[in-house]
Amino acid sequence: MRIPCPYCGERNSGEFVYRGDAAPMRPEGAEGLFDYVYLRENPAGPLREHWYHAQGCRNWIEVTRDTRNHVISGAILAREARR
Amino acid sequence: MAEALLIEQRKGLALASVMARKGVSAQDLGKAFGLSALPEGPRSARIDSLSFWGTGPGTWLAIADRFDPGWPQRLEQIAGRLASISDQTGSYALFRLSGNGARTLLQRGAAVDLDPQVFGPGSVATTVIAHIGAIIHRDEAGYDVAVFRSYAESFRDWYDSVAATV
Repeated sequence: MRIPCPYCGERNSGEFVYRGDAAPMRPEGAEGLFDYVYLRENPAGPLREHWYHAQGCRNWIEVTRDTRNHVISGAILAREARR
Repeated sequence: MAEALLIEQRKGLALASVMARKGVSAQDLGKAFGLSALPEGPRSARIDSLSFWGTGPGTWLAIADRFDPGWPQRLEQIAGRLASISDQTGSYALFRLSGNGARTLLQRGAAVDLDPQVFGPGSVATTVIAHIGAIIHRDEAGYDVAVFRSYAESFRDWYDSVAATV
């Protein structure tokens, strides 16, 4: 699989570390922490997910990937994804 | 590049990483060093004997042709308020690849497109060669490859085995 890093360009997925769904936000307190740690949506379709470009620019990026066919429709730096 | 394939280890360089502080642009930093801007993508810029390789958003590897005792304080005096400077002189070994087949050889290890159309002089790629992290830089005359110093021997082993096939 090739991942389009916003800084480096298209690279082999082996250069990256996978973290998973980008949607969960750490709650302020204990309320909702179980869900944050354990519960994931697992959609069949587009998913925004975090990848770390360990062997490249060493940045977290947010990739939008269709889980049914691995078609990647976009990638931005994670720091820019957090509005 | 019509001469024989050659690899040399570049010695006596001074290296440092430059990381822009929050809100500091590539233009701000570039002006401090006497350039219009530091490269905003994976490219290089040079002023006098000092080169900057873009290694990530807001980060560069600064390389001076000759180490001197004032390194890296000299950089800190110029950009200390705009960037974090960290000495990397002992961290990387730099190899110089030139001559016939240098690109073919590198291309057998690096999974990035090194075709001159997309990887011309001034291009930089932070990637991996034979599981060894490597920063590749191209100029008019050849390629520089920076690897972590402790991997220098492993990189040479890879080079020697591939050079036999080029």
